[in-house]
Amino acid sequence: MDAFSMGLIAAMGALATVAGASEDIESDVGSQSNPNSQVQLAAQVGNPHRIYNKAISGEPPANALWAATAAIVAYTLITAFQMPALFALVAGASVAALFNGVFSLSSYFGRNSSQARFNQWIYLDMVRYTTPSIMAHAWITSFCIAAISYIMVYMLPIPHPFPMPIIALIWGLAVGAIGSSVGDIHYGGEREFQNRQFGCGLNTMLSGQIVRKAEAGLRNSIDNAWFCTKFGGPATGMAFGLTVFLDNWRTTVFDPVTQASFAIAMGLFFIVVMVIYNNYIERSLRKKYGPYPEYKGDIAA
Amino acid sequence: MSVGGSAGGAPSAYDPKKLRMYGLVGSIVGIYLGAILNSALDTNVFSFFGAVAAIFAVVMGANAVRRVCAYGIGTGVPSIGMLALGMGIIAVMFGLSVAESLGSWFLGPIIIMIYAGVFGYVVGVIANKVIKFNIPVMEEGNADLSMAGALAILGWSFAISGTLGYVDIVNDVLMTGYIAIIFIAGGLAILHPFNANLGPDETQDRTLVNAIMVGGLAMVATGIAAIATQGTAAGLLQLVIGFVLWFYFFKMYYKLVKRDAAAVVGTGLLPPTVQ
Repeated sequence: MDAFSMGLIAAMGALATVAGASEDIESDVGSQSNPNSQVQLAAQVGNPHRIYNKAISGEPPANALWAATAAIVAYTLITAFQMPALFALVAGASVAALFNGVFSLSSYFGRNSSQARFNQWIYLDMVRYTTPSIMAHAWITSFCIAAISYIMVYMLPIPHPFPMPIIALIWGLAVGAIGSSVGDIHYGGEREFQNRQFGCGLNTMLSGQIVRKAEAGLRNSIDNAWFCTKFGGPATGMAFGLTVFLDNWRTTVFDPVTQASFAIAMGLFFIVVMVIYNNYIERSLRKKYGPYPEYKGDIAA
Repeated sequence: MSVGGSAGGAPSAYDPKKLRMYGLVGSIVGIYLGAILNSALDTNVFSFFGAVAAIFAVVMGANAVRRVCAYGIGTGVPSIGMLALGMGIIAVMFGLSVAESLGSWFLGPIIIMIYAGVFGYVVGVIANKVIKFNIPVMEEGNADLSMAGALAILGWSFAISGTLGYVDIVNDVLMTGYIAIIFIAGGLAILHPFNANLGPDETQDRTLVNAIMVGGLAMVATGIAAIATQGTAAGLLQLVIGFVLWFYFFKMYYKLVKRDAAAVVGTGLLPPTVQ
């Protein structure tokens, strides 16, 4: 291990933190993944809305697509045209963002026109101002993931044996999975049901009864991004950043060939520490806020 | 031509048997045509035939997703798309390596199609009988999905490598990592159409046009990859054709959206509720 490779690991951790945060906010602007089911349901229970409904599979495959697209473009430019890495990564992320825009548009149009009988309209002004925001976040995510893959394959002293697009695909899947499980709860559980008691959980009878009106006017998806930037995004960023950083740290400090057992033991140690810490957080939260009262009808806001 | 509805056995204007025939024949003929022209004329300009052929398979796969998932598998749509490509990639590697060991690349696509069909059917039987999904079209749908996934991967792999030889595909597609984009873009091309149009007023033609559109976009991606493996001319040709296909079918998709939607408005407040 030397200072240079430790610096690279730190850079990868930083890139991953940014990627995690932007990934979560990207999915929140478009209401992708699990909060999407409530947005989808809202019109069906008589609450047509002006919230973006972007259903591009789950987050893991979708982000794997953006990351892999950015990586293949960058890889092609680097190997076939000997372009500078930074330029190639930027070009790759731009293509990925365009792909994201097409997928976002087609799912917003498709989902909403499939709800014609519930009178869910398609608002073109929403499409015009929300889609670029989604694409911008996807650009950041795919740039960061492709950059992490580039560092792993071309810059680390012990380069990863897999080709760059495959690594980008795997990290894309990972960031999507982490964003879906960490950050989306903040949007789906808190923001969509902001008018309910904190921590009351989602009662079945509340399905689809999402908040459609904002402090002033109608709630839109940019408002949701603003809300999620406060907690959901950074939390996702921290989770993904730690995953990338700790995972690469142990294989950089310990040589993965000669000191493999140390690297594995360090990984197990991290897992044990995290399990204990999560358990502590859960217990202290329950002590502070729980047990949650039984549902006794709506409480006036 | 639009027939809507979602729950229980998706009504459709295009018969699934016909779509299956178009999908299988279109993709197999396209891949063979590309491979024969490429090897006979000693060029790689015709590699884009493989990418166009893959779109036929994608349409068939998207229709199979639509049929199976219309039985209420809402969140399972992405999973079944990934399953299709997972089954497909096994079939492709198996078929290509068997064809290689038999000494003739010509047998590859046929072996892949038959193996994928049988493999998908077995997975469907397991899903229905062991996991007890109890979906009537599960076996048939899984066989379709497996064949669609396999032929889509084969078509795009051919589009990137320019030949059907096992060694060439391993070198150009797997070792370079381009399989990543084939796998994920192909998976989304099969699963995205129904997923994006999910809802009670989904229509078959809109879903299938979406499939062609996403297939065109995947062709743009394979075109970029082909620039590195086959040179600028063959790659750019593929990229441009992919873009044209995407553009044409995106416009058609938007037309169908305007036809099917309750209203497409420039801006406005919440619509009146219809219960």
